[in-house]
Amino acid sequence: MIDHILTLLIFFPALAAMLGFVVTKDSMRAYGIAVSFIEFVLSLWLWYAYDPMVSGMQFMESMPLIPAFGINYLLGVDGISLFIIILSTFFTMIGIASLTEKRHLKNLIITLLFLEMTMVGVFAALDAIVFYVFWELSLVPMLYIIGAWGGPLRIYASIKFFLYTFTGSLIMLVGMLFMAYFYNQATGMWSFSILEWYRLILPENFQLWLFAAFFIGFAIKVPMFPFHTWLPYAHGQAPTIGSVILAAILLKMGTYAFVRFSLPMFPDASVYFMFPIAIIAIIMIIYTAMVAYAQEDIKQVVAYSSVSHMGVIILGTFALNVEGVSGSVFLMLAHGVVSGALFLLVGVIYDRRHTKMMSEFGGIASVMPRYATIFGIMMMASVGLPLTINFVGEFLSLLGFYKQSHMITLTAGVAIIVGAIYMLSAYKKMFFGTVTNEANRNLKDVNRTELLGLIPLVIVAIWLGVYPKPVLGPINNSVESIIQLMHDKAQSPEAKERIPNLSDSSKIISMQEAH
Amino acid sequence: MELYLYIALFAPLVGSLFSALFGMSPKTNITGYIASGLLFTSFLSSLVLLNYVLGGHTVHVELMTWMATGDLYIPFGFVVDQVSVVMMMVVTIVSTVVHVYSVGYMDHDKGFNRFFSWLSAFVFSMMVLVMSDNFAGLFIGWEGVGLCSWGLIGFWYHKESATWAANEAFIMNRIADLGMLIGIFMIYWNVGSLQYDVVFAEIGNLPLVITTWIGIFLFIGAMGKSAQFPLHTWLADAMEGPTPVSALIHAATMVTAGVYLVVRANPIYDLIPNVGIFIASLGAFVALFAASMALVNRDMKRIIAYSTLSQLGYMFVAAGLGAYWVALFHLMAHAFFKALLFLGAGNVMHAMHDELDPFKMGGLRKVMKGTFIMMTLASVALAGIYPFAGFFSKDLILEVGFVEHHYIIYTVLLLTAGLTAFYSFRLVALIFHGEERYKLFGIHPHEAYKFMLVAMSPLLVLAIIAGSFKMTYYQLVTNLLPSTVYHVHNEVTFWIMTIGTQLFVISAILFAYKKYSNWNSVPDGTSKMENSFGYKLLWNQYYIPKFYEEVFSKPYLELSKIAWKQIDLKIVDATVDMIANAIYKTGENTRDIQNGNLSTMLRWMVFGLVVLLALAVAFTVGYNAVSA
Repeated sequence: MIDHILTLLIFFPALAAMLGFVVTKDSMRAYGIAVSFIEFVLSLWLWYAYDPMVSGMQFMESMPLIPAFGINYLLGVDGISLFIIILSTFFTMIGIASLTEKRHLKNLIITLLFLEMTMVGVFAALDAIVFYVFWELSLVPMLYIIGAWGGPLRIYASIKFFLYTFTGSLIMLVGMLFMAYFYNQATGMWSFSILEWYRLILPENFQLWLFAAFFIGFAIKVPMFPFHTWLPYAHGQAPTIGSVILAAILLKMGTYAFVRFSLPMFPDASVYFMFPIAIIAIIMIIYTAMVAYAQEDIKQVVAYSSVSHMGVIILGTFALNVEGVSGSVFLMLAHGVVSGALFLLVGVIYDRRHTKMMSEFGGIASVMPRYATIFGIMMMASVGLPLTINFVGEFLSLLGFYKQSHMITLTAGVAIIVGAIYMLSAYKKMFFGTVTNEANRNLKDVNRTELLGLIPLVIVAIWLGVYPKPVLGPINNSVESIIQLMHDKAQSPEAKERIPNLSDSSKIISMQEAH
Repeated sequence: MELYLYIALFAPLVGSLFSALFGMSPKTNITGYIASGLLFTSFLSSLVLLNYVLGGHTVHVELMTWMATGDLYIPFGFVVDQVSVVMMMVVTIVSTVVHVYSVGYMDHDKGFNRFFSWLSAFVFSMMVLVMSDNFAGLFIGWEGVGLCSWGLIGFWYHKESATWAANEAFIMNRIADLGMLIGIFMIYWNVGSLQYDVVFAEIGNLPLVITTWIGIFLFIGAMGKSAQFPLHTWLADAMEGPTPVSALIHAATMVTAGVYLVVRANPIYDLIPNVGIFIASLGAFVALFAASMALVNRDMKRIIAYSTLSQLGYMFVAAGLGAYWVALFHLMAHAFFKALLFLGAGNVMHAMHDELDPFKMGGLRKVMKGTFIMMTLASVALAGIYPFAGFFSKDLILEVGFVEHHYIIYTVLLLTAGLTAFYSFRLVALIFHGEERYKLFGIHPHEAYKFMLVAMSPLLVLAIIAGSFKMTYYQLVTNLLPSTVYHVHNEVTFWIMTIGTQLFVISAILFAYKKYSNWNSVPDGTSKMENSFGYKLLWNQYYIPKFYEEVFSKPYLELSKIAWKQIDLKIVDATVDMIANAIYKTGENTRDIQNGNLSTMLRWMVFGLVVLLALAVAFTVGYNAVSA
């Protein structure tokens, strides 16, 4: 069974979702929890069986789909995708367990399980077409979640979300087709396998165009400035569960794809575009942090803070050294945990008061002390306090980029200041002061269902902040092999110099040898 | 010895977690007792370690890996050496006293358990800060104390001013922390490690310009924690927190972390004397600058806070001039008498029902004898009168300035010493002497609980006798720090200086007594002095907080609003919608082409044919032209 665990992980939730149609309404919740729990345990088993010493792909599965064009059902995980898969199953479980939605619960759970399939599929796929299929499929359940359970502007928001990301993905698809064409020109064979593409050394001007095509698809998904405006609408209208999954997992598809596609396939282009992208990252960090500070709606604060943090992730990715890329992959997980938790927390107060405007609150700390404590811990994690999960990622990302540029890192480091400004002021508006609004006087503190979702997140946020090694170790090994591959493939002298050569260290098993 | 190290380090954490368990339930005395007991355990362990270190050993342990990726390896490593053990003693002594004191002080507060949780968490962070064996570990403690400071300044979170001050402190510290973080990055990429021993061994091989920048960036970090100009405004505002917090965090321990950093990184600063001079000059400036604001202030706690700021300036003068052991010595002595002063102020506040204006007090020595004696002696120590602690540590800094030929710094510090004596005794005179002005406000003061006074007494003893440790201390720390002796060689000059300084300070004290001990009215802002320019300048703290408010806070908020409402919604998002609309409109407008009307379609067909033919002709002609 372990040989096909990835297939199992992808299709078990889909199968369960289809069976879900025949489950009665009353037992749907329990069914959803059970399925997502089994899925989570399966993903933990994957982690258990994963060999952290091997840096290449593991649990690979291959089955021809369209042999004429070299399209295969090709799956595999390495240290980078492993934890994002676990994060996906974890959040689906937590999301379903702490679901407070009453309307059409059955449909919602079925949709979530389908969404889980697409998420795991994206991160496990090693064939560009399979990747693309899951990537696009993931839009559908989210479109449905926002469109069916969202707020008053839900139709506008969901269509904007769909069309915007879809446009980007189409350009990415064109890039993929060209990549396959170039591969065919170079080798005479058709292949959509990412691992095969890794071996292809493209001339720099080809790389630049392909990089740009992929970039648009990824950048809209991340979302990077100036393609970010679909996000506030999507978060603003989405129900809590939609925002949680969107922020925790779906956004990571973009940053993950940078590490999976752009970096190893186009090393010269990555170096060429390093500084322009770093500038965009800085704009994301500072500009969206300012926009977050101006918000009046607590959910929008968290939404914009996501964009700001994604800026740090992008910066770490384009540090192009082990410290930075490992940090950015770790920060993807960290941001997933923290922003997911923050959206859950916003959902808690929204369920009680049906408003998210911060001016409606004030003094909540005295009414809901547990809620205030958990929110405080997550806020401090979001601000990047040491010994919380975010710090590790942020520290390593910035540390990595410092090697490339002092000034840019210094400017990007402003993240730790502006992040504190919007978070602390939002917290102050919500929780501190005296209760002035009578409606807040008798709010109930977090209940058991909500704690079920929040407590594990608090534990993870602190555990991985204090002891990140179990996760950082495998990430590090896989990142090292990517960086080495990039260094070996790089052609321009600048790229050779900026991407470090690790081959003198003995623990590297290169990508090619691993399979 | 490792066991004692871990006990000293983790006992406060256990205390904090234990109190946190009861954080949301009503007051339970047990949390206070347990937390204080664990702090005392931590103190005893530190004492054992001190004894061990006095024997010439050090303890160095590595608990586990924290971050490891690429070439980066950061463990949770802790070291007890001659410098950190001194800091551990200071931290554990003061915090034990403050914990016991707080059991009484916070007696009627409904956040009693929460308070002890934060307070013990602070001590734990501070221990991590001083005991870490690498810069990343230092940074953990550094941010940890910042967090606890935030939680404790804003402890009474229903007060707008308190939460505002808490956020101000956190954000200002974050600005400085960015500098520190950059310093850490520079160290890593130039040395390849963050361990103190490796860094200090390698630092000499780096180009001087790199070392200089490292020194500057680390010092920026120190400026935030130690509230040096221009990042000083948060410290006075931090007085919104409960008074034991002010005593522990904003006087004795956390704010001295910056000094500790410079002392700890002495191998770096030794290489860059130019930066050292800058540090010393800034320190001297802050000493005078802060003392001047203390002269006119009418808030008891703020006066003491400015005095802390001023004394931090002294410490930086010593550290900047390379007299690291002197800086650390003043840090230690200052911690004792300043914490004592604050705790005394806490007693007065309780007695006066949280009144802070010393002009509304007066004559309290009759009802608060114990507090009166303690605060007077603490002020004497602060003023630097022989044979109290301040004399040995502060006079030494003056001597350092003199011996190193920085006469301007020396003069500034001498002047500041006079001001210090003046404002300290202005405070004592206004509170404890003269008419009982509080009667006008219908207050019936009472002395604090007896055990609170007993708890304070160790600090009193230390404030009196700390000077006698000087030789032992010197022999201890100079194992690690440069052992330069600062002594004015000319016997006559030495005596003139010492006696001169003493006379100057004493006359300042007498002047303060003369002016304020018979005060009989509450100033109402009408007197000539209160309307003079100088008074207003000092009263408004040189208008710096206002300046920050107008130049940074408000424009930042305005700019943020513009970024959201004008740029994000009206430019970025509007462009996206415009493109989408353009496509939609194009479809909308061209759908007539396919409306099914035969004649319209025929017309379009003819039009299309013409266009195609024209293109074909154009291409053929063009192709022939090119190939010909």
